[in-house]
Amino acid sequence: MSYPKKLADIIALMEGLPEIERREMLVAYADQAKNQEPREGEVFDFEDFRKDEECTDSVGIYLKTDQEGRCHFRVKLGPQVQTLTRAMSSILCKGLDGLVLEELQAVPQDFVPKIVGAELVRIRSHTVYYLLTRMKTAAAVWKKRQARG
Amino acid sequence: MIPDSNYVHPEVVVSTEWVASHVNDPSIRIIESNEDILLYDTGHVPGAVHIDWRRDLQDQLVRDYIQPTDFASLCSRYGITPETTCVFYGDKSNWWSCYALWVFRLFGHTNVKIMNGGRDLWIAEARPLTREVIKFSPSNYPVPAKRLDKEVRAFFEDALKQSQQHLPLVDVRSPGEFSGEVTHMPDYPQEGVLRGGHIPGAHGVPWKRAVNEDGTFKSAAELRAIYQEELVLKPSDDVIAYCRIGERSSHTWFVLTYLLGFDNVRNYDGSWTEWGNRVGAPIERA
Repeated sequence: MSYPKKLADIIALMEGLPEIERREMLVAYADQAKNQEPREGEVFDFEDFRKDEECTDSVGIYLKTDQEGRCHFRVKLGPQVQTLTRAMSSILCKGLDGLVLEELQAVPQDFVPKIVGAELVRIRSHTVYYLLTRMKTAAAVWKKRQARG
Repeated sequence: MIPDSNYVHPEVVVSTEWVASHVNDPSIRIIESNEDILLYDTGHVPGAVHIDWRRDLQDQLVRDYIQPTDFASLCSRYGITPETTCVFYGDKSNWWSCYALWVFRLFGHTNVKIMNGGRDLWIAEARPLTREVIKFSPSNYPVPAKRLDKEVRAFFEDALKQSQQHLPLVDVRSPGEFSGEVTHMPDYPQEGVLRGGHIPGAHGVPWKRAVNEDGTFKSAAELRAIYQEELVLKPSDDVIAYCRIGERSSHTWFVLTYLLGFDNVRNYDGSWTEWGNRVGAPIERA
């Protein structure tokens, strides 16, 4: 399975890094998570902000689609969300930007350890997978609503 | 917040202010240990080193702790000697720092302290954080003669015996986990437990009852009211604490051992992820 170009570039970058630099890069991505939050006045086609039972804090997914049906995401995370998940929100907003629904749904989850490194993927950090699922779900629900008119 | 001087061992709890005034003290090593594995990298108390509970303290193959040689290497890497005072702090109201401290005790390192309130209080007080990682000159920590598994650690058989003999077991998980209503703690993923409930005869006292809103430990009087009056435990009792994987129960182990001065408290680190999966293990549901 090939990954979308932007995501593939991030994977290639992260896979080539030694552990220490990979951690630094993840922290840099986590630092940028705030930049992925919705901005004042922005209008979205679909918004889903909630706290699920298995998550430490709230996760908001905001979807905007362009005229070609390409998806653009923003993500808002509660203050208790772990650093790794913050990093992943930045990575996903960038790496999945501009995909159409079918491309988005086809993105497999197996890239997560390639970016994060097996060392850091632990049971209690599985929210990194949860984010992708939430983004796919948001896009699918939006599409269904569109179809219903 | 100044720690309560009425604790039985008040010297093991230090304030954020005390830590701030000791960041350059060569006889002190400040150690951060968190659940969020990248949190230290985002900024930490100046001079603090990082101990990752899973990578540094646990065997990477068998579910067990590192061996004495590994512990000596870990300490040597951070310039720690047996005389070094290790001050632990971290996220989650100090769960993992208490866990790390407990592992240090497993190897006989008794010169340990906890920073009251942990990382969150340090940040709430607007104290400085840094991303600078200081390289300490390696020390030559002697390899401990053995791991003190019998003294501060309990195994399945110990917990079973404790239950059968109606001796004190303290289940520090959330009420829902204790009752068997859920098999994971609130806000966390399932960690692979097949059965819910608690060890027969265990007292359900969530770890959180021992802390204030800001993560600091409750006063000695408040703690006595919970453990000695409500549960009617005595400092001379042989007590076993457990949770899911041993981190929250490390917190309670610390409270009972150091703040209330109980002589024989053991942490059952196998906890519910062992008991709830064990074929034939007796379970009680409330």
